[in-house]
Amino acid sequence: MDIPGILHADLDAFYAAVAVLEDPSLAGKPMAVGSGVVLSCTYEARAFGVAGGMRMVDARARCPQLIVVDGSFGAYSEYSKQVFSIFETYTPRIERISIDEGFLDVTGSVHLFGSPREIGAEIRKRVREETGLAVSVGASTRKFLSKIASQVAKPDGLIVVEPGDELAFLHPLDVSYLWGVGPVTKRKLTDLGINTIGDIAATNPDSLTTMLGRGASSHLYALANNQDPRPIERHRKAKSVGAQSAIRSQIRTLDEVVPILQRLTDRVAERLRAKDRTARTVTVRVRFGDLSSVTRSATMETPTSATGAIMDVATALLKKVVEEFPNHETSLIGISTSGLGVGEPMQLAMGVDAATTGGTPAELEYQSLDASVDELRRRFGRSVVTHGSDLLSSRTAFSDGLSDIMTLRDDGIPEALDGGPEYVTEEDVTQSG
Amino acid sequence: MGTRTPLPILQGLLCEVAGGKLTVTGTDNEITVRTYLDVEVTEEGKTVIPAKLAADAVRKLPSGAVTISSSDTEVEITGNGPRFNLRAMAVDDYPQIAEPDTSQAVEVEGGMLTQALAQVGVAASTDDARPTLTGVMFEAEDDLLRLVATDAYRLAVKELPGVAGGTSKLVPYRALRELARTVGTGKMKVALGDREASFVTDDGRLTVRVIDSEFPKYRQLLPESHSNRLVVDKDSLLEAVGRAALVAEDHIPVRLAMQSGGVELSVIRQEVGEATELLEGDYSGEDMTIAFNTRYLTDGVSAVADDKVVIETSSPLEPSLLHGAENEDFRYLLMPVRL
Repeated sequence: MDIPGILHADLDAFYAAVAVLEDPSLAGKPMAVGSGVVLSCTYEARAFGVAGGMRMVDARARCPQLIVVDGSFGAYSEYSKQVFSIFETYTPRIERISIDEGFLDVTGSVHLFGSPREIGAEIRKRVREETGLAVSVGASTRKFLSKIASQVAKPDGLIVVEPGDELAFLHPLDVSYLWGVGPVTKRKLTDLGINTIGDIAATNPDSLTTMLGRGASSHLYALANNQDPRPIERHRKAKSVGAQSAIRSQIRTLDEVVPILQRLTDRVAERLRAKDRTARTVTVRVRFGDLSSVTRSATMETPTSATGAIMDVATALLKKVVEEFPNHETSLIGISTSGLGVGEPMQLAMGVDAATTGGTPAELEYQSLDASVDELRRRFGRSVVTHGSDLLSSRTAFSDGLSDIMTLRDDGIPEALDGGPEYVTEEDVTQSG
Repeated sequence: MGTRTPLPILQGLLCEVAGGKLTVTGTDNEITVRTYLDVEVTEEGKTVIPAKLAADAVRKLPSGAVTISSSDTEVEITGNGPRFNLRAMAVDDYPQIAEPDTSQAVEVEGGMLTQALAQVGVAASTDDARPTLTGVMFEAEDDLLRLVATDAYRLAVKELPGVAGGTSKLVPYRALRELARTVGTGKMKVALGDREASFVTDDGRLTVRVIDSEFPKYRQLLPESHSNRLVVDKDSLLEAVGRAALVAEDHIPVRLAMQSGGVELSVIRQEVGEATELLEGDYSGEDMTIAFNTRYLTDGVSAVADDKVVIETSSPLEPSLLHGAENEDFRYLLMPVRL
């Protein structure tokens, strides 16, 4: 099922907002940044009809009390960097368009952070809290639509266009929201009696072509009918499979998290196999006690669905985080697998070193172990086989951590709370051996 | 000569004229090559010339004798009219290069060694992230030298009987592939030290830092025996695989359906088409289809020196062994592609 996983995040009146942050006395006043031309202006200035791109002379004519600051702060890129580093905690798939806007593909992050709406809301909250800037976010299944949604959401808003609702959202909007409609085209369209995007969709494409030429008309017609002309993978199936676990009791070292990661990986890999999919990329997310979080991902030479192979990659990623952030307590851990494919031919490899990925005997062994485990679980239930470390931890101080697995998500759909810890007896484990 | 070196001086060649000989030295700090040339000496001396420019200049001169003379700051290259004046590099900046210790060296036929290295070298990895696999293992036994290379997808083994008394070291194939071009194929002294491996002929010498890590325990990878055996004409197989590769490109394997009377090669590529071809040969064993990466298969078959090549298999998921019908001193173990 498609989810509105393409986010467009656009900082509101970025240059002006930074100028205000740098000089708080400007707050609440009509102010524009720029010298000859208005680069950016506050919403107070916009109320007078001042707009970006306007000549400063014209701006002053409209708003005589306009305060003008030249835009020579070095702070812009610092703020921008800070904002994008917040984006990066939610997904590595970021397309930075300019200093103040970018696309975020969070399709692969929904198991880790919740629905696109939740991610959008959290991003907005964090950017506000950590930088003082307002960011508007649009979310949909397509880039152009998300960008329109963020423009409509301004100032300081969030709009999610759910799949199926696209045309209902688009059609009432003014044509100028469409990419490619500048003042000239808008005038031509108005002359034709076309004011909304819905009007374009309802117009005979041929009469559009007569007026605007073939290229522009087919472009607008496609957009108005929610067809993004930019090549985006269509008929997207599940793009990722993942799971995460919040940890209520605070675990002091990340090392102690490994068994939880193992358990999550076990789930995720099992689901991959049930869907007959392999994954190429593994992403691990760790949220610390102070609720800040990091994600790390690695892409394998050859895709796999073997629990052990994915686990090795995930553990290595976790280790890196441990090294980078020693002595941090952990409040949540998650794993997501993406780059999903269906069984392609696999070049087998010899076991010449410690590598466990890409057709090595170690990976094949993991695969055959997985097949046995899957079969046992099909026949006797999930809890019949579990990791030794889970078993150990159930006897030691770690049992707390396990019972704290609160939510598991798959493809963005929240699951019922996990049915408590799946402790097993030693007898059960022998069956897996 | 170093092409990617941070030290500019290493982009030069050290030229020394003494005793009727020109000695040219180049190094990139890993590999050092020194070659000798008989020349007509008017005055002895040494200089460092910019390697690429000087080589290009000499190449572009009309054929005939070339005269190289140098002052402290300039090198002049002339031949049949044209004249190049190149800025010389500082001789004192050139690294000191010690003569290799060849007291423990083993003497081999250079042509035989370079040919053997070319056979196993195809299996060496070019992935710098796995340095151990970029080398050729020189393994000394009482009465033979064994050369082994693997990139985890194939493993090539070549035995050179009669080459005895050496030591065992792992030598970067990147250097070995230059042997024939630099020091020639005449009588060669091979000295494998703890830090360096040296290959010395009358024409020059090549020294390279050995790889200081343990080579995979490859013997356990070589199966004791195989249940199926196919014998086919080497050139016919190469041509057939080449035709299949046209359709396959790099990522689609070629399927070998082995059956009595020969083997049927096929490539199925959903959106492009298919290629099939029947190749006559002798096959003993159960009917079986196994798939290989076309490049890996071509590399292995090409490296076999005999007219007929043997492909031994056990199952579609186990390694196959390729060798000549007459000689088994070269063996190529190849991992299949699981369909």
